[in-house]
Amino acid sequence: MSLTIVRLYHDLLGTYGDQGNAEVLMYRARARDIQVDLIEVAPHEPVPRSGDIYLLGGGEDGPQTAALEMLSKDGGLNTAVDNGATVFAVCAGFQLIGSRLPNASGIPIDGLGIVDAETIYTRDPRSVGELVITYNGQLDEPVLTGFENHQGLTIVGSGIQPLGTVLRGIGNGRDGADCKSPEGVHHGRVFGTYMHGPALVRNPQLADEVLASAVGQLTPFNDEFAEALAAERRHTLLK
Amino acid sequence: MRSPRLTIASSAGNFAGWVSRFSGRGRGETIRGRALLALYPRALTELAKDRDIILVSGTNGKTTTTANLARILADGTDELVTTSTFGANMSAGIAAALMEKPAHRLVVLECDELYLPEMYNALAPKVIVLLNLSRDQLHRTGEVRKVAALWRKTFTRDDVTLVIDRDDPFLEYAAGDAGHVLRVTFGGRRHPDAATCPACADLLSWATGDYECPCGLGSQLAQVRGDHRLSGPARNTVLAIEAARLMGGVVPVETAQELTEQAPDRVSTYHVGGVAVETRLAKNPESWRVALESITSTDVILAVNARGIDGLDTSWLWDVDYSPLLGKRVVCTGERRLDAAYRLHVQGINVEVAHTFAQAVSSSDKPVQAIASYTAFQDLAAQELGLRRAGGRQ
Repeated sequence: MSLTIVRLYHDLLGTYGDQGNAEVLMYRARARDIQVDLIEVAPHEPVPRSGDIYLLGGGEDGPQTAALEMLSKDGGLNTAVDNGATVFAVCAGFQLIGSRLPNASGIPIDGLGIVDAETIYTRDPRSVGELVITYNGQLDEPVLTGFENHQGLTIVGSGIQPLGTVLRGIGNGRDGADCKSPEGVHHGRVFGTYMHGPALVRNPQLADEVLASAVGQLTPFNDEFAEALAAERRHTLLK
Repeated sequence: MRSPRLTIASSAGNFAGWVSRFSGRGRGETIRGRALLALYPRALTELAKDRDIILVSGTNGKTTTTANLARILADGTDELVTTSTFGANMSAGIAAALMEKPAHRLVVLECDELYLPEMYNALAPKVIVLLNLSRDQLHRTGEVRKVAALWRKTFTRDDVTLVIDRDDPFLEYAAGDAGHVLRVTFGGRRHPDAATCPACADLLSWATGDYECPCGLGSQLAQVRGDHRLSGPARNTVLAIEAARLMGGVVPVETAQELTEQAPDRVSTYHVGGVAVETRLAKNPESWRVALESITSTDVILAVNARGIDGLDTSWLWDVDYSPLLGKRVVCTGERRLDAAYRLHVQGINVEVAHTFAQAVSSSDKPVQAIASYTAFQDLAAQELGLRRAGGRQ
């Protein structure tokens, strides 16, 4: 079995150790004897249409706007998603795959429209700190952890599931009566989250969810270091 | 002439510092400064009056460059120079340094990036040395560009000269509206965090190893050119020499050459369980890269914490290439040892974890070098101080 991972614009969307998500996906795939190719796409290079998993990371406001303009113009990512590719997008990357978001000057512009999620600029202080959520799908260990650092509030469309529900931190932003804020988005094979850490490093089961969405069911893999790290984070942050 | 209020507040501050030292809680400087500022908030301005102050700020190399510049300035002017105590770079630490020798005219102070606007306004420095800006403590600063924008908004008058490494686009942006700027260039060095222009957000082209944006950023000529092969600490030394010269210090060309060749590195030797461990401080991707390159031992300890000053978000561990450690025996310790260990493990490096630094050292029977994040480094320094006080090692 083989798998192609496409990492988009490390220079623009790689501020928060985002290459860790690619490294861990490769590590966990190879542990299952899956052959992996990693394609790094630099700004202004064409985005391949035939990748299996596309990774977008966090970035500052200016680079985020620049990345969005290039991806819009290229059209490759949207085509790949239409063909069923998996997307894992973090922070600035999560915001730009949505329908609307503020540009570097705070003015609302269109996102890539891959998921129905709108980010709006608010005058609230940046959401900064540890983020703990319960995953909305089925996992043996549903508690996921990460670190968030972003401005703005993200509203996920009514037909779309968030990735999880916030136990600690801000996530997409406070959401009404039950005070349970949603975090990220999970629609088909598209995952968006505010969790750095990097997210797939700190949450090995989420890494397997992303992998499985591209290659189907995975054989078990006991990655003791990763499990110990995930457990330590959960334990420290929820005690 | 000191105001009575400053005299009283200084005495109270000194007393608080003495209590702190005597009770063994710390070296007392920060407590002293904090007490002074609580009693007399305008103390900073009064302590700075009629003195020639140089501030040193930037992401990496502040502490070392501050100490280095104080020495260069003292040699170049034959005057006594007051300077900061190890890393105390916010208002309380700066107040304490200014209280230390009020008669010294020349003062060189390290300043935290976010405190720089406040210190500029309170102290009216003659010269500010801006070393570099890159990713560090993002939970606190938000974005690198935001720090640069804050500085740009601050430096709009012509009462100070900025000494900057113009190869750093964030510094060039920060100095954009300043009245006097001394630009130093070394060339040939792509900035790891400046893919886009801090001024106009267009992609910067680094094809030549240098940048110039159509918006004009980077088009100002540098007055001083340094060797492009210089290390980070050596580049900082060049900036320090230029600052000393601006203050009237005489630094002959041969002396400058010598100083640059012997640029200090932030390495300390700490004694843990009877073993001398050569320890390097590293606190962000750029300083880890430099520290890893200088490791020569086969046994290595990495101590990683994530308390405020270390940066709360450890994601950056994945932005560092640890290949200099391939084939070595590495032990990770510190509060975030598992984050570090897993990162190394995925890169194929042989790694173990230890609960404490002492355990990490004791598992080794060869000379061992260490890299420690800020607070892990401070903990080691505090233990070393305790050992010395107890009459132990020198």
